[in-house]
Amino acid sequence: MRAPRFLLAIPAWAWLAAFFVLPVATVVYFSFGYKPGIFGTHATDVLSLDRYREALSPTFFTTFTNTLRVGVLGTLLCLVIGIPMAYWMAVKVSPGKRAFLLALVIVPFWTNFLVRTIGWQVILAPEGWLSGMLQALGLRENPLAILYTRSAVLLGVVYNYLPLMILPLFVAFDRVGPAMREASKDLGANRWRTFTRVTLPMARPGIIAGILLVFIPLMGDYITATVLGGARGNMVGQLVASQFQAAQNWALGSAMAVLLIIVIAVTVLVGAAIAYVVTWPLSRARRLRLADLEGLPEKVR
Amino acid sequence: MSAQAGAVELTGVTKRFGDAVAVDRLDLRIEPGEFIALLGPSGCGKTTTLRMIAGFEQPDEGEIRISGESVAGVPPHKRHVNTVFQNYALFPHMNVAENVAYGLQQTRTPKAEIRERVAEALDMVQMRAFADRKPSQMSGGQQQRVALARALVNRPSVLLLDEPLGALDRQLREEMQIELKLLQSRVGTTFVFVTHDQHEALSMGDRIAIMRGGKIEQLDTAAAVYAQPASAFVAGFVGQQNFLAGTARTDGVIESGPIRLRSERAGQHVAPGPVRAAIRPEYVSLAPVADLTAGAGHGTENTVVGRLASIAHLGETMQYVVEVDTGHETTSLLSRIPTPAAPNVHVDDEVVASWTPGCILVFSDPNAGPAIPPDLTTVPSTTPAHPPR
Ligand SMILES: Nc1ncnc2c1ncn2[C@@H]1O[C@H](COP(=O)(O)OP(=O)(O)OP(=O)(O)O)[C@@H](O)[C@H]1O
Ligand SMILES: [Mg+2]
Repeated sequence: MRAPRFLLAIPAWAWLAAFFVLPVATVVYFSFGYKPGIFGTHATDVLSLDRYREALSPTFFTTFTNTLRVGVLGTLLCLVIGIPMAYWMAVKVSPGKRAFLLALVIVPFWTNFLVRTIGWQVILAPEGWLSGMLQALGLRENPLAILYTRSAVLLGVVYNYLPLMILPLFVAFDRVGPAMREASKDLGANRWRTFTRVTLPMARPGIIAGILLVFIPLMGDYITATVLGGARGNMVGQLVASQFQAAQNWALGSAMAVLLIIVIAVTVLVGAAIAYVVTWPLSRARRLRLADLEGLPEKVR
Repeated sequence: MSAQAGAVELTGVTKRFGDAVAVDRLDLRIEPGEFIALLGPSGCGKTTTLRMIAGFEQPDEGEIRISGESVAGVPPHKRHVNTVFQNYALFPHMNVAENVAYGLQQTRTPKAEIRERVAEALDMVQMRAFADRKPSQMSGGQQQRVALARALVNRPSVLLLDEPLGALDRQLREEMQIELKLLQSRVGTTFVFVTHDQHEALSMGDRIAIMRGGKIEQLDTAAAVYAQPASAFVAGFVGQQNFLAGTARTDGVIESGPIRLRSERAGQHVAPGPVRAAIRPEYVSLAPVADLTAGAGHGTENTVVGRLASIAHLGETMQYVVEVDTGHETTSLLSRIPTPAAPNVHVDDEVVASWTPGCILVFSDPNAGPAIPPDLTTVPSTTPAHPPR
């Protein structure tokens, strides 16, 4: 007798329940509670929305705006840099060298995230070697003043998250295959048109995956921003962490975390809507349906 | 455009991949509106030739002219040539109508005209009703028609087809062969059709170019390629042959073991020395040995006695394998006879195989032979053993 099909789905459901539903539900539950005293972290005997009111303070708003800006800008930067890089690797590089380049993309992951970021702090510091070298070469008069600016944060974000963008994009471009590009060129499309009308649309799942893989962890990341942005680098993730660790106020931390989840979800939806609205006229112009052909005389020759 | 429109001319075209020569100083002239079949075994350079005409590969040497103009350095999208790819290469994210419209959109054709021409092209392959389907929702044969419409809608000077029927089952394949041929005569476009199926090439091509090792061995009509093959390779590749290695005597008789052949083909001159004779199985007739007329048998020209080793029913024909003992080994002769005319013979019978002198092809290079499937290969006897009895 064959096992019923749902048996196969059990591991997936169990995984989802244990590692996603349960923790998120707990956080949501805690967010309605309060901090019972100096030594308690949370209590849920009285439930209220007070922690949310508390969380939505002006500081929190500025931090949120900052986080969102880093998140969106960082993701867009990774996308803009990642698309040509992934395309080049998947299309222009010979298969033999591809494995080597992919390894290069992954190599930074072999060291700790914090260590890598601090590495950049050392490089970008005004008294660091990059600054010294630029001055020695006469390219700069003053020490480098990039550390603890938004540029430094974005540089760190691109450095830390670009591989997460490149890998799915590479797979997507690779899967389009040379046959599709040749068919397009055969039909009179030049390289650019082939890219925009065949390669890019066919790679859409990979692009979406890349955006989500970068944007979601980036919204919760505060290490990159604190290490390279200093005081300017306040991120929501940091606020959440400090509530859980320093202030020992799990209830408020949970409320902030829930707000973060909501903001991420809303941003993703808004982004999808914008992408749809922007591309709609284009796809509309090229759409051709059976209904468009109706009424045309059938020519029998 | 000129009267040259649709002509394709390859002069001394060579293409190398590293050390390997894929196409070797190939010369080919295709007339406007012609249906050319490129036939040859796997790896002989058919696809490479097509890809050079389409512009996906650049020849290392030689020149390609399309419609009278050299296309050196012209990228694929600027060539007035379209391709039907072996795997169809339809765009999976577009429906059938959008796939067909793609080429017209590249030339900025007005929308109303695009609609008209897409409808017309889909009607041509009877696929208008499928306009909304995605490629993944269609069968191989339907995809093949769409690929054809997508190429023809651009009204190219030359249409290149790379084994477009390869993925279809036999019945659909034969239907599509007829349809494609009719379509070609209607639209009048030059078709360059690549196949490794000889029946397909013979039935469709106005002329057939038989390729081997990056070169064209023969370029001629189906009838000529079949009846007057230019080499032993062509003889064996188009249809089947019984190849018999032997020696031509000064009187013109060829001795191959116990078998004596005398060719009486018009215009065929047999020089004395080692030769290779070829007889098509369809020219070999069989009779029970009892029917043997006095004096016939071993030693008689164009007749041989052997043991019937097997009989196979192929539908419209019967196929017989006759084993002839040459003393050292056996030579098998293949015979194919229309089923209604099948002789009354049985396996293990002694039978007489004979053929008319007009059907024997003689090639002077005894080694240049094609690879024919082993079960059908005639094993040539090496030494002329028995003297005539
Ligand atoms: N991109 C390439 N790189 C290296 N060698 C190649 C390449 N393309 C083709 N070749 C070689 O060139 C020769 C001709 O190949 P081609 O694809 O033209 O053969 P074909 O006649 O189309 O064969 P088939 O009937 O199997 O499709 C082969 O020996 C092949 O190995
Ligand atoms: Mg091929």
